[in-house]
Amino acid sequence: MIPIEYWLILSSLLLAIGVYGVMTRKNAIVVLMSIEIMLNAANINLVAFSSYYSSLHPNLGTDATGQAFALFSIAIAAAEVAVGLAILLSVYRRYQTIDVDKINILRW
Amino acid sequence: MFGSIPIISIIILLPLIGAIATFCLGRYEKYAKWVALSFSLAALVLSVLVAVDFMVEPDGSATGYHEGNGFFDFQYYEEYSWIQSLGIRYIVGLDGIGLPLFLLTTLLTTLSILFSWDTKHRPKAYFGLMLILEVGVLGVFSTLDYFVFYIFWEVVLIPMYFLIGVWGGPRKDYAAIKFFIYTHIASLAMLIAIMAMYFQSGINSFGMEDIWRAGLSEFGRTFQIVAFAATFFGFGVKLPMVPFHTWLPDAHVEAPTAGSVLLAGLLLKMGGYGIIRVSMPTLPEGADAMQLVMAVIAVASILYGAMVCLAQRDLKKMVAYSSISHMGFVLLGFATFTQLGIVAGVFQMFAHGLVTAVLFMMCGVVQHHAGTRMIPSLGGLSKKMPNAATMMTIGFLASLGLPGLVSFAAEFMVFASVYQTWGLWLLVPMIAVAVTAGYYLWALQRSMFGPLTENIDTSHVHDINWFEGVPVGTLIALIAIFGVFPLVVFKYIDPAVRIVQVLFAGGG
Amino acid sequence: MDVLQYAWLIPVFPFIAFILIALIPKRTLGWEDGWGYAIAGAGGALVLSSLVIWEVLNGHTLTEDAPRTTWLIIGDYEVTFGIWIDQLAALMLLIVSIVGTLVVVYSGGYMHAEGETRRRYYAEIMLFISVMYGLVIADNYLQMFIFWELVGLCSYLLIGFWYQKPSAASAAKRAFIVTRVGDIMFMAGIILLFKYVGNLDFAVLFDINSGTPGAPTVPSDILILSTALIFGGAIGKSAQFPLHEWLPDAMEGPTTVSALIHAATMVKAGVYLTARTYPLLVQTPESLLFVAVIGGVTALIAASCALAANDIKRVLAYSTISQLGYMILGLGAGGYLVYHLQDPNGYTAATFHMMNHAFFKALLFLCAGSVIHAVGTNDMRLMGGLRKHMKITSTTMLIGALAIAGVPPLSGFWSKDEVLAAVYHAGDLDPIFLLLWVLGIVTAFMTAFYMFRMWFMTFAGEARSTYHAHESPKIMTIPLIILAGLAITSGFALLAGDGFKAFMELPIEEYVIPGHESTFDIAVEIFTDPLTYVSLVLAVVGILLAYRMYYVPGFDRSIFARGAAGTMQRALENRLYISKFYDDFAYKVWYGFSIVCDAFDRRVIDGAVNGFSYLGANTGGVIRKAQSGNVQRYASLIIVGIVILLALLLFVVPWGGW
Repeated sequence: MIPIEYWLILSSLLLAIGVYGVMTRKNAIVVLMSIEIMLNAANINLVAFSSYYSSLHPNLGTDATGQAFALFSIAIAAAEVAVGLAILLSVYRRYQTIDVDKINILRW
Repeated sequence: MFGSIPIISIIILLPLIGAIATFCLGRYEKYAKWVALSFSLAALVLSVLVAVDFMVEPDGSATGYHEGNGFFDFQYYEEYSWIQSLGIRYIVGLDGIGLPLFLLTTLLTTLSILFSWDTKHRPKAYFGLMLILEVGVLGVFSTLDYFVFYIFWEVVLIPMYFLIGVWGGPRKDYAAIKFFIYTHIASLAMLIAIMAMYFQSGINSFGMEDIWRAGLSEFGRTFQIVAFAATFFGFGVKLPMVPFHTWLPDAHVEAPTAGSVLLAGLLLKMGGYGIIRVSMPTLPEGADAMQLVMAVIAVASILYGAMVCLAQRDLKKMVAYSSISHMGFVLLGFATFTQLGIVAGVFQMFAHGLVTAVLFMMCGVVQHHAGTRMIPSLGGLSKKMPNAATMMTIGFLASLGLPGLVSFAAEFMVFASVYQTWGLWLLVPMIAVAVTAGYYLWALQRSMFGPLTENIDTSHVHDINWFEGVPVGTLIALIAIFGVFPLVVFKYIDPAVRIVQVLFAGGG
Repeated sequence: MDVLQYAWLIPVFPFIAFILIALIPKRTLGWEDGWGYAIAGAGGALVLSSLVIWEVLNGHTLTEDAPRTTWLIIGDYEVTFGIWIDQLAALMLLIVSIVGTLVVVYSGGYMHAEGETRRRYYAEIMLFISVMYGLVIADNYLQMFIFWELVGLCSYLLIGFWYQKPSAASAAKRAFIVTRVGDIMFMAGIILLFKYVGNLDFAVLFDINSGTPGAPTVPSDILILSTALIFGGAIGKSAQFPLHEWLPDAMEGPTTVSALIHAATMVKAGVYLTARTYPLLVQTPESLLFVAVIGGVTALIAASCALAANDIKRVLAYSTISQLGYMILGLGAGGYLVYHLQDPNGYTAATFHMMNHAFFKALLFLCAGSVIHAVGTNDMRLMGGLRKHMKITSTTMLIGALAIAGVPPLSGFWSKDEVLAAVYHAGDLDPIFLLLWVLGIVTAFMTAFYMFRMWFMTFAGEARSTYHAHESPKIMTIPLIILAGLAITSGFALLAGDGFKAFMELPIEEYVIPGHESTFDIAVEIFTDPLTYVSLVLAVVGILLAYRMYYVPGFDRSIFARGAAGTMQRALENRLYISKFYDDFAYKVWYGFSIVCDAFDRRVIDGAVNGFSYLGANTGGVIRKAQSGNVQRYASLIIVGIVILLALLLFVVPWGGW
């Protein structure tokens, strides 16, 4: 059994990598990918806590709620990527670029 | 005469119906002025009938008489419940303080509509907004419930904002926004004070009379001082008092002539009316504590306004500042807390409404015919427009307090009451009498007299038009009539003010 | 039928004429553009005034029980409009009705060339006459003040009659504002009395401190202050020093206006007011001293300014101020005599001079008008030799000049002598009156000098410019002849019947009614008094000096251009710099101050308002920069925020012990 801390450190690292990508990369597709990474960090946490919870309370049997949530989240993420890519496509058609620094009309 | 007819509500509703009708004219917009004029004229006729009827049985048996038992006594009293849970009712009624101003409102609106007869730019909206303005002002002068009072008070702002902002001069946006925000902040102070009084009184009613009655026992001295200061600020900005007056010259300079007439003739009166109807009776101890503040501000407005007038180069701006000076007399009269002074203050409001309307109309005539109002560009115009020059001279003379014209009686009574309260300090505001003569006559000399100006093209300047002459002539006739027979107006004001005195001195 | 009951109709006649002239359409007005209506209005008032005066001469007056109507209620006091006809009012009615009617007649010739604007002229003249009558018959101070302001208005309108001339428009404005300064004092004085008495009716006020039951009492310091303030109104209206400079400027108006308003009637209103206030004034010697000093100083200053004026109307204007100073001086000294000796001589002398002066000064002005009408200029340096062309005008003007110089038996002699005698007698009570008497004597000398300087410069010698002078039409010369007749004869009122002194009853109860003196006694008294000869000799010397300097050729006037005499001459020509002082004060100090106020208003007060809105807008402007539109920055900020929040929750909150 791998201790829960290891999972948490892994997911933290993934989240940090995702945040770093979201914050620094100019290419919107890379930003989108970074968001997916962050999402997966959360999924790892869900699964990890699910199993940890079961190990703490062996008399309750296996509780799969967290894992079900993770699956649900993955499905949502897929839809989200589809929507996000569609937006990016129309942005690209409109501005001929997907550099997020150039797409800043949402300001004062 | 009116039996059980709710005459005041009818008078208030008439312009509202007129406004809706005007807006709905569609492509027949050239009839907008006719519709507006007929509705405002109907309101005027009815209010004149009310004024005549008011005096028939002033002390009891007349229609809808409401005896306040210490509070004001109203005629044509109507009362309907509106929002019961909050104690909000629609109450209207008139007494001798409200009636002259009520009458002034219907009169000036009618004349302003006539004066704007050649408005070509979006006439439907223009005349409709004027009628809505009339609704608001009429409501302010007749409502006896704080909540409804505040609604009418705010209703007045909106049409005036658009009148300045759409039909105004070159800097209309600045002026309109300044006017709106400045006076709106002031009315918020008033709203806070109204709310405070409502909660402090501990009764579930916004009625002025109920709150006054509850306030006799519930309003402590500190509360009264704070609430008075808030209402005084709210009403004083409208008055306007120095140093919260700078919205006025800007608004006047940019507003269309009819807008200026209504602004100076009616909106300023709302401030004075509020002080006499709300602040002083309901918060007498607060007023007592602030008496000196009121007096100092009044004298400052009188003198400072007059001094600034002397330096103006724009005829209309000068008239605007003169309003500040003359409304200072209203406040000074109130601040004496004497019967004489308060009567004089109310009288001065009525007089100033008539006189300042003439002045602003004449500024409009000069602007219209000569193309500019800047005094240095004018000169010798009486050669081209003798009738206009005569009317302007009469207006200026009336404004500087010439006996035989309406302002004199008011000013004399203010001075007499000031002496009764403060003795020889009287001489300080009296300086303004000479300064006022100075700036008016100097402006007259530079704009109307002397050789014909060569700074502007005067070849097309012609005399006053009929639709300008009729309103100005009507007002001048009234100025002369009420100047020679001031007792006519006085008889309305005096009994009502006696009640203020009672409210004030004994607290009931 | 009691005529006095209907005295209120006197102002109504000219007022109706005013309304008719003002409102009848131009085409149908006709009749010399309103002259006819004006004659009718003035004539109607003249007839009724004569009846009223006749009643008063027969010993009837109408004071306390006159008909009245309520105008306004101030506190518990009903301001009424009523009438108050006593001897003083009758005297004033006499002046206004005679001079007013004659001036209107004369205007038919003088204003003939004005064309359509005559209509405005006649309307304003009628309004003036009407309100002047109203002032005279007023029975309370407020009513008097109302008409007082209205005559000021008419004066303003008529001075500015030729408003296209910048100087006329400016002079009109100046006259109104300067007199308004006096009016403010008048109003303050009234209000003072009102506070203590609660009433403004003469009937009540004249009882102040009289001791009769129910009579109001007023502390003496208040009475001094209020009478002095009321006299302040007279200082403005009667052009007394230091508010006298508007009157010479007022000569910008038509000469008829100068004759009627600025010589005979309106400027007399101040004297009339002072005389009217006598029952109060005689209780306050301090105010009387003030009155007398103002009068004496004015008489001298104005007379000296007249010495160097070259405009024929300005000479007359200064002369008017100087003579008004005489009347005021006489009233001040006379009040002293009443206060100490119950001797009404000063009062009668001053009012007598008021009447005489009205006639001869109106005459002089109308003569000057006739000259100006003929020559087309006001400047005496361009006249000369007119005697040959204008026989009637020159003769009548000579009569007027002799009258004002005080040559017997013309009217000025009698009244001026009486005034000076009263001042001299008051010198027994307070030596300052002796000084004032000296001022009066010097003034008398100057008066004779400048009047004949004017006459010689205008009518004698040779023409100094080219003009086609001709005698004025009959419509103008007949009023001149009538007025000349009055200037000769009105002085004999002192001797006729019971005499003027007995007629001018003081409205005070405890003064000594002068015993009946025969005509012969009065004449003997006057002609045995050495003072009479002092002033007479000085007048003759003045006339001879003018004769020497301005008639006999060869007098070297260049001595007035050098040295001390030159300084003096320049100072006089510049009106002692008083006018310049006022101009500087008005345009530099006061207007400068108003410019400062205006700048303060825009920069500081409005600056604060705009500053507030700028502050609000600017704060928003700074903060909105955060809204960069850069999603990544938003995300960064969110994360930083989360980190900070977490840090707070994890570290700060536990430490704080919350």
